[in-house]
Amino acid sequence: MNREQNEIVIELRHVTKSYPVASGSFSALKDVSFKIDSRQLVAITGKSGSGKSTLLNVITGIDRPTQGSVLINGIQVDKLSESELASWRGKNVGVVFQFFQLLPTLTILENVMLPMDFCNTYPKKDRKERALSLLQMVDIKEQADKFPSSLSGGQQQRVAIARALANDPSLIVADEPTGNLDSQTATAIFELFAKLANSGKTVVVVTHEREFASYFENTINIADGVIVNAVRVHA
Amino acid sequence: MKTRYTKVIRDLTSSYSKTLMLALAIAVGVFGIGSILGCYTVINREMATNYLSTEPASATIEFGGIISKELLDSVKAFPGIKKAERRATITARMKVNGRWHPMLLFVIDDFSKMEISKFLPVSGAQNPDTQSMLVERTALTVMQANEGDEIMIRTPNGEPHALKIAGLVHDPGLAPAWQEQAGYAYITLAGLHQLGELQDFDLLRLQLSENAYSRNEITKKAEQVADWLKEKGIVIHEIQVPPPGQHPHQSQMNAVLTIFTIFCFMILILGSILVATSMATLMVKQVRQIGVMKTIGGTSVQIGSLYLLMLLAICIIALVVSIPLSRLAAYGFYTQIATLLNLEITDNTIPWTVPSIQILSGITIPFIAAAFPLLRGSRISVRAALDNYGVSAKSNPVSFLSRLSVINALSDTFRLALRNAFRQRSRLALTLGLLAAGGAMFMTALNVSEAWDKNLKRIYVQRLYDQEIKLNDRINPDSVIDRIKSMNGVTTVEGWDYSSSSIVRQGNYDVTKTYPDKGHGSFTILALPVNTILLNPTIVDGKWLSNEGTKEVVLNQLARTSGMKIGDEISLSLEDRPTTWKIIGFSEDVGSSAAAYVSIQTFEKLNESTDKIKMIRIGYVDRSKDYAAAKNREIDRLLEESHISVSSTTPVWLLHNAVAAHMKVLVNALVAMAILMAVVGTLGLTSTISMNVLERIREIGVMRAVGATPKKIRSLIISEGLTIGVLSIVLAFIVSIGLSYFMGEFIGHISFRTPLTLTISLTGILIWILIVTVGSYLATILPAKRANIVTTREALSYE
Repeated sequence: MNREQNEIVIELRHVTKSYPVASGSFSALKDVSFKIDSRQLVAITGKSGSGKSTLLNVITGIDRPTQGSVLINGIQVDKLSESELASWRGKNVGVVFQFFQLLPTLTILENVMLPMDFCNTYPKKDRKERALSLLQMVDIKEQADKFPSSLSGGQQQRVAIARALANDPSLIVADEPTGNLDSQTATAIFELFAKLANSGKTVVVVTHEREFASYFENTINIADGVIVNAVRVHA
Repeated sequence: MKTRYTKVIRDLTSSYSKTLMLALAIAVGVFGIGSILGCYTVINREMATNYLSTEPASATIEFGGIISKELLDSVKAFPGIKKAERRATITARMKVNGRWHPMLLFVIDDFSKMEISKFLPVSGAQNPDTQSMLVERTALTVMQANEGDEIMIRTPNGEPHALKIAGLVHDPGLAPAWQEQAGYAYITLAGLHQLGELQDFDLLRLQLSENAYSRNEITKKAEQVADWLKEKGIVIHEIQVPPPGQHPHQSQMNAVLTIFTIFCFMILILGSILVATSMATLMVKQVRQIGVMKTIGGTSVQIGSLYLLMLLAICIIALVVSIPLSRLAAYGFYTQIATLLNLEITDNTIPWTVPSIQILSGITIPFIAAAFPLLRGSRISVRAALDNYGVSAKSNPVSFLSRLSVINALSDTFRLALRNAFRQRSRLALTLGLLAAGGAMFMTALNVSEAWDKNLKRIYVQRLYDQEIKLNDRINPDSVIDRIKSMNGVTTVEGWDYSSSSIVRQGNYDVTKTYPDKGHGSFTILALPVNTILLNPTIVDGKWLSNEGTKEVVLNQLARTSGMKIGDEISLSLEDRPTTWKIIGFSEDVGSSAAAYVSIQTFEKLNESTDKIKMIRIGYVDRSKDYAAAKNREIDRLLEESHISVSSTTPVWLLHNAVAAHMKVLVNALVAMAILMAVVGTLGLTSTISMNVLERIREIGVMRAVGATPKKIRSLIISEGLTIGVLSIVLAFIVSIGLSYFMGEFIGHISFRTPLTLTISLTGILIWILIVTVGSYLATILPAKRANIVTTREALSYE
């Protein structure tokens, strides 16, 4: 895929993220800068505590950088208010969690419809149809009326991906999405991410599972809050 | 329907028991408010309707002489006078089961043309002849008779005479006869003469055409009429101006119902705090869900709205359940109060304002209580929400608990339970507050109830006599007293005197607040031997009488007016003449009307009635009701044989029962309210324990993974509940003392104008300990069971 043909979706400029700790402050990210183009499947790798989840949180606006700026599709997200961030995130970023985080009292279908409800992105009458088509896409439509607790981990993660796609965001981020799944299911999930990237989405995945490296076009390796090597990334 | 609303409904319905418990916490308060306010509005309206329907007199002039029909017509034509009517009220006696009981005979000028102080027909004839009488409906029980029966009646100057009960009437201006333990009957003047009384009308009832609700204006007008009558040769004894348009019990009833309403609002506030805490805890439990919702586009406002909607749904459930039930309870309550006040409920409508207040308060108060925690919970950052793992690291046990952990005498389980109880200190504070408030109010209600009974017993402590006999004429006491003294079982006999009186102020006449029943608002001078052994007065200021010949007076709390102090001089009317007395003491009497105690020697001198008495007080060896009743019969016979005309006899047990009947329903209502508080308090405990367990389900999983047995876990959770319970009991007890003091002051003041003695009800404490212990145990059983049902794996993966 030719990077020059694509737009820059994510741009981090000298991002530092520090947390106050008993002994002073701890920097989870230290002057991190890079850009990620659209339509890519990018991995963020690193050891536990290296700062990869913080990096993902900064990209999604869940965390604000202590210094530097974060631009997603040209919007400086660190300048948005909490309310603006929620709305922006709902429309522009689909987030997939390690533990799926489906709402237990909503059915699968309702879980997928919820982001559309919050962001008021599709007409009410079309939401169900769209949610069903997304569930169809992740191959779980037949479970639409079931509650999350009756699904396996892999199935729940598929639902979580469908939910992340509900508002048709250009960016999907996933934090160790297969960390809680068996390898066969994990493979299926990565195939799904690859499919999404091919269909025009930018997918950023935090993972430490090297066996799936072949799926990624780019990898950002992070250690002690610093990018140590970036393959085909504007570092 | 929006998907997010589906979540609200599912969250509510996924835990029916919890939702219902929260709804119940609000419902109890809303129910109380509806019951009391419903009762309050109906009673207030009906009290006014009933009382005003009798066309109550604005003023009554007690006079001597004869007011002819012509003179009466002139009074009616007096400027500013709307209506005028002649009446007489005689204190007589009636024979019931062989015993003489007090009775009031109301003499009516013309039954067919009554315009003032009317009564309503109930059944039978409404125009009695000289051989019959109309009876107030509530008097039938005291008379132990029915319509058509004959009752033996004896007036002060007459012989016993049988009168037939020709008809029944309802007189809302009178307290129920069973309350006063007296009979009420209405007769004609000819009928009175038939009974042996020669007197004519001695009361002139007036109603003003304007300013009928201003006591000053009424007094002024009544004095003008009195002046005019005086010019016509009529002797004016007294002018009675009761509070205009106000039922004798109106102010007391308003005060009591107001305090009950405040209690109910407190219950609602406490219930709302419980709901707010529960909602906040639910948000803590769902904090990750909040984080996820924010991640997928939910704003703080949208998420806050979800939980407020959930709260609204709980409030609506509470309102739907409590409003109809409260109307039923209000019906029961006002029916009881109506019986207590001798009211006829003419209209059962509870005004729309009551359910409106219930709806408004049942939604507003929980929302105010929950607003801060819910808004705070919904504003949590995504990061904080997603990183939340339950109990905060800041929630460490307080230091003294840490120190407790080194005490080896405490078991490991108990030490852990103590620590757990103190982990969420703000929640613990709220639960303790709720339980302690519930317990304090419960104990207060029982304390006040017991203090009420204790205060009633003071009637026996202060009155060391068992029978009071008022005579119609002053007699030489020696022979009678000696004969009574010689009777078997009689310990002491004293001759006293009395006179109806009033405090003489500027102006010509004695103006009292006495109601037509002659009881409410009356003022008496009681003349007694200063070394009496039949009275044990409670002196609150100054001293008791000690000098026989001095013009010293001791006033009881009902005679004392603001600003009076020891050493002041006071002018009291005595047989229509002003007499000056020096105040040397103030006493607190239970069950008396306003009274001024003076030395009988001084009284006799001023009254020119040397060595005469008009009252006999007698003490018996046995103070039981049965013994006193038997002895009273003997004494009645003796007085009859001695041809001594008796005006009234009042056994002390009768006085005790009459006072007890006045307020018992209200004290019982206070206890009912205490039970509601107990319900809310126990709900609070259940809620807290269950939330504490839910919140730590992961931790419990860890404990089980490292070897804690289900028994150990159960014991831990139950110990935690009991710890909170015990702490709440201690707090409740401390608070209840202050609250009981205040309530005792309040109820005592409106009943006796003297505070109830602070009383600690052991029964109240024991019942509350039982409620809290059983409640704590039951509250912990379910969470403990749930904690043990969840497998270790499930607990560890619990989200």
